[in-house]
Amino acid sequence: MVNITTNKSLISEAEIVSILSKMLKKKHQRRQSDNYRQILDPLKPDDLPIDRDVQMNIKHLQEEMGNSSDLVIRQIKIGQFGGALVYIDGLVDGKGISDYILESFTETKQISEESDLFQFVMDKIVAVGSIRTIRNWNALFDALLSGCTVIFLNGYSKALSGETRGGDRRPIQEPSQQLSIRGPKDAFNETLRTNTALIRRRIKSPNLWVETMKIGTITQTDVAILYVKGIANEEIIQEVRDRLHRINIDSIIDSGYVEQSIEDQTFTSFPTTYHTERPDVVASQLVEGRIAIVVDGSPFVLTVPAVFVQFFQAPDDYYSRFDLSTGIRILRIIAFFIALIGPSLYIAATTFHQEMIPTTLAIAIAAQRENVPFPAFVEALVMEVTFEILREAGLRLPRAVGQAVSIVGALVIGQAAVQANIVSPMMVIVVSITAIANFSTPVFAMAISVRLLRFVLMALAAFTGFYGIMIGLMIMTIHLCSLRSFGVPYMAPLAPFNTENQQDVFIRFPIWAFKKRPQFISKGNTVRTGSNQKPAPPSQNAKESQNSEGKKS
Amino acid sequence: MKNLFACVLLLLSTITLLSGCWNQQELTDLAFVMAMGVDKGKKEKFDVSYQVVVPASVASGQNGGGAQGSPVVVYKSSGNNLTEASRRATKQIPRSIYYAHTTILVISEELARDGILDLLDALDRDAVFRTTTFVTIAKGGRAEDFIATLTNLDKIPVQKFTKTLQATERMLGENIKVSIDDILANLIDPGKEPVISGFRLTGNPKKGTTPQSVVTTKPPAVVTADGLAVFKGGKLAGWLTGNEAKGAVWVMKKMQGTDINFNWEGKKDAVSTIPFISKTKISLVRKNGKPSMNVLIETSFKLSEINVPYEVTNSMSMDVIEKKTAEQIKKDVERSIHKAQSLKADIFGFGDYLHRANPKIWKKMKGDWNDQFAKMEIHVKVDAHYRSAGKRNNPFWNDLKQ
Repeated sequence: MVNITTNKSLISEAEIVSILSKMLKKKHQRRQSDNYRQILDPLKPDDLPIDRDVQMNIKHLQEEMGNSSDLVIRQIKIGQFGGALVYIDGLVDGKGISDYILESFTETKQISEESDLFQFVMDKIVAVGSIRTIRNWNALFDALLSGCTVIFLNGYSKALSGETRGGDRRPIQEPSQQLSIRGPKDAFNETLRTNTALIRRRIKSPNLWVETMKIGTITQTDVAILYVKGIANEEIIQEVRDRLHRINIDSIIDSGYVEQSIEDQTFTSFPTTYHTERPDVVASQLVEGRIAIVVDGSPFVLTVPAVFVQFFQAPDDYYSRFDLSTGIRILRIIAFFIALIGPSLYIAATTFHQEMIPTTLAIAIAAQRENVPFPAFVEALVMEVTFEILREAGLRLPRAVGQAVSIVGALVIGQAAVQANIVSPMMVIVVSITAIANFSTPVFAMAISVRLLRFVLMALAAFTGFYGIMIGLMIMTIHLCSLRSFGVPYMAPLAPFNTENQQDVFIRFPIWAFKKRPQFISKGNTVRTGSNQKPAPPSQNAKESQNSEGKKS
Repeated sequence: MKNLFACVLLLLSTITLLSGCWNQQELTDLAFVMAMGVDKGKKEKFDVSYQVVVPASVASGQNGGGAQGSPVVVYKSSGNNLTEASRRATKQIPRSIYYAHTTILVISEELARDGILDLLDALDRDAVFRTTTFVTIAKGGRAEDFIATLTNLDKIPVQKFTKTLQATERMLGENIKVSIDDILANLIDPGKEPVISGFRLTGNPKKGTTPQSVVTTKPPAVVTADGLAVFKGGKLAGWLTGNEAKGAVWVMKKMQGTDINFNWEGKKDAVSTIPFISKTKISLVRKNGKPSMNVLIETSFKLSEINVPYEVTNSMSMDVIEKKTAEQIKKDVERSIHKAQSLKADIFGFGDYLHRANPKIWKKMKGDWNDQFAKMEIHVKVDAHYRSAGKRNNPFWNDLKQ
């Protein structure tokens, strides 16, 4: 025995050495893979300066872009000097180029010798808002591909870039996901600049700061961070910046990419960032101290930090009176629980806790299930899965066919399945109530997470009844309490409990009673309202004084 | 390390599967016992009958197709205790017997006179059987016949029992709902004896079990609430019926509503009043060292009927009605107290009041409380307050041509 153990230890020593060497190799490999950014990135081959010769530059440009057909090159002449105007068709405002750049070029017949041509073009000819000097190819591609017009001039190893962004964009339309009865009707579109403008139109304060960066090694997507300086927590802003800078992937197609790259916890079904297509929502959250992340090409703006209760707040809550909104919000929370545990309660009650059902109902359910061949769990599972399939199909189908799906779905689920004794009518009711309750969650990301958890709870209920449901809910609660969104506890202000911030959790206080900003987000500047904001009819004294003043005048 | 953790997690997660739904039962595997009847057995101690619901014929959904068959089926079993009988019953019942929805326990009068104590532990101990189940006594009949009788208004016969009991408790006040819990609490209480509502089966019990009995407008057999059974030492000692039962309910502070009738100028039961709020106070008085009880009943009543010319609008004349009503209530209460005293069963819980008011005296009297109760002086005082005359003030009799 002793021998063997010593042998073993010897072997293990050798193994340790080999493992160590392997680890070292791996580290080396990793370091190599860090370089892939440079290798993969076609836009940054090398930082070449711009050539003095326009023709050389054009040739280089065509080579780099593979003679792409949307690259427009226009040779120009200013007096005796040659030059070229380059832009990408479709990204630019064509009318602007012809009116403010090309026309002035053609009108300029000659220029005085002594003046610097480059400076002259910059000052006198190119009549657009933003104009920049470019000295190397990296900057040139950045400008060109984001819709600027680049002007080469013979004899200068630099180029001019004029702001001519334009082209066809979707106009600002009504929100398609987050509808509200009362409140603004505009929604974000796919253009970053429009989106930031929509936000700035609502917060006319110089303290609304916009930071922009490019993410995505190939897509070079513009991403902007918006926050209200002085309200937003500096630490969280820095954290957002760091996380965005850390993103090192080839493409950012939608804000969903960013969301998944920066969220605190991937292995959770709960969303830890909030997304919205409504500028009013973003504006109100910015004022609360949250930080918005706008991604070019996505009509959904992310806001962080996001907390659990936020997903039950709809914009309408704030636009209609507080008593009504409070009632509706409580209804929404009830609906959330129905969507979460509806079918599992049914399964648990009918298979484990028959004593919990009122006698008459128990007999009615028993009668309905008399001819159903499956146990309640299988029945529920079949119905839920069928419904999910229908819902998914309805989402993806072209509009013209969509109606067919709903008809088939309603007939199959509602009638035929019951008549064929595959499911009981009670199950249909349970599934329908669950589905409808699910739709009442204002934010889709939360609704979809409930959809997933519902199946887990159903399985738990089928194995152990109410006990299983309670275990499941407890695990869910513990998990929720463990989550964080950019350092902010997900269940705030419930856990950790904060008395001052209960004004917007279950009961939506009147607007004038929103005394403090959420303290779990903004640390310093938290006072929202002045004192004595409660509206009241003019008091007797005030009236008299007004009257007397009126008489005097 | 990470793999090990994953393996452990996987193994742990299978634990949930190991439980294997051990006590899972589908609704369709259960025989819902709605009512249980216990009779004195011929060979063994108890003959137990189970009223099991037939879901398909109760629910008139699209699957059930309406009342195809009898809504309930009654199975019989026997044994020397309830468990024995219950387990033996599984030989006949195709599904597992499920007691959680049992609402009525019917005990035959014959068995009740022999004693009901042997029934109670099984019912109290069983995890599924509810101790809130009502208990009734089948007056002069077999419990089996009671639960086998089909009813018209409510498809499931047991609902007829509970609803009748509820309605009569609220409107007439001669019966009260008594649960197993109540019986147990009163049994072990030395200062109180239990009462149980009685039911009587009128008509032909045989015909009452056939489906024909529910398609006629005159059911051949009807189960009727009838009086309160007084128990002493776990055995039925006697019955309180009619106004006696009413009086007992007054003293037991259970009166929700009733009617009081009295004669007027020689016309029998010419005036009827309906008390709707009542309050009973019981207090101990000591006279010459001997304890006696004061029962004070305060009640508010409405005028329900007056079949003689009368000045209802005159408050002075209504004082007379108040007095008469109070007198009538007092008469009922005194009769019921005398009956209880003659049965030597303190169903009102005077012993409890004595215990609370004066523990020292109670200690002395505790040993033979029921005898002491029988000798005790009990004074009854009733205050009745007239509140409303209904929709009309003076009756039409006042204007009737002489």
